Amino acid sequence: MKRYFLGRLIRSIFSIFIVVIIAIVMIFGLIPKEKVFENDPQLSKLSGKPDDRTTYIYTRWEELGYLDYVTQADMCKAYSDDYNECMRLDVTQETNETGKVVDVYSNSEEGQKVIKIYEEQGYTVDYMTTGFAWASRDNSIFNIAVKYITNMFKVDNPWAVTDPDNPDMDRSIYFGTDNNGMPALKCSGCEHQYLIYVDGSFPFIHQNWISLNFGRSYPTYSGSYTMDVISDQQGEYVQKEVTFDNGTTAMSSLDLHSCQYKQTSTLDRMDKSRFETNYANCKSFKSEASMINMSYIFGIISLIIAYIIAIPSGIIMAQKKDKWQDKLGMVYINVMIAVPSLAFIYFARNIGIMFNQPTKFPTYGGGDIRSYILPGIILALLSTASLMIWMRRYMVDQSNADYVKFARAKGLSQGEIFRRHILKNAIIPIVNGIPSSIILCIGGSVITESVFSIPGMGKMLPDAINANNNAMIITLTFIFTALSIIALLLGDVLMTFVDPRIQLSSKGETR
Amino acid sequence: MSERDVILSAKDVEVQFQVRGRILTAIRGISLDIYEGETIAIVGESGSGKSVFTKTFTGMLETNGQISNGSVIFEGKDLTKLKKDQDWEGIRGAKISTVFQDPMTSLNPVRTIGYQIAEVIIKHQKKSKDEAKKLAIKLMEEVGISDAANRYDEYPFQYSGGMRQRIVIAIALACHPKILICDEPTTALDVTIQAQILKLIKDLQKEYGYTTVYITHDLGVVANVADRVAVMYAGQIVEIGKAEEVFYTPKHPYTWALLSSLPQLGIKGEDLYAITGTPPSLYDKVVGDAFAPRNPYAMQIDFEEEPPMFKVSDTHYAKTWLLDPRAPKAEPPKAIQNLHKRLLSITDERGDYRG
Repeated sequence: MKRYFLGRLIRSIFSIFIVVIIAIVMIFGLIPKEKVFENDPQLSKLSGKPDDRTTYIYTRWEELGYLDYVTQADMCKAYSDDYNECMRLDVTQETNETGKVVDVYSNSEEGQKVIKIYEEQGYTVDYMTTGFAWASRDNSIFNIAVKYITNMFKVDNPWAVTDPDNPDMDRSIYFGTDNNGMPALKCSGCEHQYLIYVDGSFPFIHQNWISLNFGRSYPTYSGSYTMDVISDQQGEYVQKEVTFDNGTTAMSSLDLHSCQYKQTSTLDRMDKSRFETNYANCKSFKSEASMINMSYIFGIISLIIAYIIAIPSGIIMAQKKDKWQDKLGMVYINVMIAVPSLAFIYFARNIGIMFNQPTKFPTYGGGDIRSYILPGIILALLSTASLMIWMRRYMVDQSNADYVKFARAKGLSQGEIFRRHILKNAIIPIVNGIPSSIILCIGGSVITESVFSIPGMGKMLPDAINANNNAMIITLTFIFTALSIIALLLGDVLMTFVDPRIQLSSKGETR
Repeated sequence: MSERDVILSAKDVEVQFQVRGRILTAIRGISLDIYEGETIAIVGESGSGKSVFTKTFTGMLETNGQISNGSVIFEGKDLTKLKKDQDWEGIRGAKISTVFQDPMTSLNPVRTIGYQIAEVIIKHQKKSKDEAKKLAIKLMEEVGISDAANRYDEYPFQYSGGMRQRIVIAIALACHPKILICDEPTTALDVTIQAQILKLIKDLQKEYGYTTVYITHDLGVVANVADRVAVMYAGQIVEIGKAEEVFYTPKHPYTWALLSSLPQLGIKGEDLYAITGTPPSLYDKVVGDAFAPRNPYAMQIDFEEEPPMFKVSDTHYAKTWLLDPRAPKAEPPKAIQNLHKRLLSITDERGDYRG
């Protein structure tokens, strides 16, 4: 069992990375890099200013990992002893073909020397209209992939922060309490102040120690880390009474557990009045759950409703095969499968309107139960049809098995046979699918979330692909792949509990 | 035989099935008395209605089938009148048990062996769980499972085919039934295990005193275990008698044909006998003797009128016009003449086939 899991875990991790690498190769290798600016309104504002435009484009590309971009200032800082001489430009005036007199800039000898060094390193050198040089070198896909994977897991440590204005910073991990007096593992010198902390929200123990990092989102949600985009709370700021480190109490929306190091040079008066340390860069409490949680809440609600409806109905249909109950269920299943889901959603929404249910999630927001009822039921009903038909199918298959015939010959009643024998066999394939259903709720549902304007995950992947949001695509690819693989593993583990014939062990391992 | 008590008496049983809008008459008027404590074997080819007939004893006909005529009297009750599951409670599994053909699939794969035995004991004998477990372990020992207490909580996949069939027998015997129906109990097992299982059923019969009804197409099994043999063809019993009578002095041409086609009785150098043709379609009304079209001894009357049961001896009856005093004398085929002597020559002193 142990060996099996180890082997499977290694294979799982390996396949996750393979999938991520394939995604990276597709994104960076097959899509021209100019595409990333298609949805960027910023760029059109720069159309009259070629230098700014070049700087903007190449800075972005560097940020996205496509290439290395250096300005003359960077070059001179790196390779010249005399920065000023290196940056000096000689101006001569020349007459061009149209007879106009124009300024022509040329670099100093020191400057040319440095530029040469970069050219030799494979950089393409070009000049701004101001005469300063800049250079760029494309990164290979291999380098990009390596960079993504090596940066993927960020482990916080006491040497993570470098702040020239705070050289004597204490660097240690220690046990302490948070502002509510709860125990916490804290750190000085790390990015995060709280590495492990306890609070009242599920799952009660939280950590900032290890975080996933896929870079920043661009062009949508520009500037935020992709993980923050999908996992930070949304909506309006929610203020609570907060007691800060130094004892001041104020109405604030800051989530002190999330505070990160802020460079001394950027600390403002407000920060200094509240925080004793440099950990003043905090996230805020907001009114709505994060995208992930939003999709998850709806997913779980609908899943529970779906199973509560579909499993018993499927069982009844099998038990009353060819009777009116079965026929009625079949009509329902056929209708649900035949009607396009969008049509069904609007139909159900109109029924909801008759019962005064809101048609948009933001009408009442996440704090009101009415926002969840209609979408939850619709999502549930959409998945009942297939669940019902499978449950019925498995039950009917099993009821034709020989052991059922023998159980009847043993003198058991029909009900006893169904309860004690058929159900336990028929439920096995259903059980295998349960972890996937639960975990993959995270993906949200595209159509229902759009119709009800739910700020969930459903549209993230298609939107990210449309907007060429590379980092987001890779983030979602990683998350969905990892969760699918975990779900499969859990499904198999669960199977061993309901089916004694299945043992998870590798070849040659004793049970 | 006749001085024994009749335990189950079937009279003119007719069973019909609805198959895609047509009516198939699978059992065409069978009358059979089964005596207490005997072992009776019902033989016949596939589709002759052996299984269907015995299913009327336990109300296990498929939902599209029904007993359209006749009665099956067991302990003063007419079993054909029982419709609902509740009516069968106390009979099926308790007084009349069945052992099926394939032990590999007769047991629920995801329930423990112990659970499946104890379940019956709890259901029919109203015992507590602990008592049922004790009884179940005792039963497992009786059917020859060693280390029964430890194997109680194991699952069917941890048992071999022969052991599973022992468990199936244990379950069938759990409530000390009056009648044990063995529906081809050894067909799915290999030869050595077959012999063990047959011996087990025989040995336990002495202890439990049940009446055994074998359903089989294996005449070897019949010769081994049966007191009486009923030969079925096309939904009717065509010949019935003591095992020796049916084997050594068969009267019905179908019985002759069956015996002639036994591979063990084949004569070296000659082709093995095979019955030509196929059984009649039971969708249509069968006119005359159902075997007539395949019967080399058929007479004109066989195609026109159904033969009655002719009495050969007190225990031996056959349904063929050949036994009518007006019929010409017909000799059985050479392969089965002097069968007794021939059998002696091919079996060893213990009665086992030499091969």
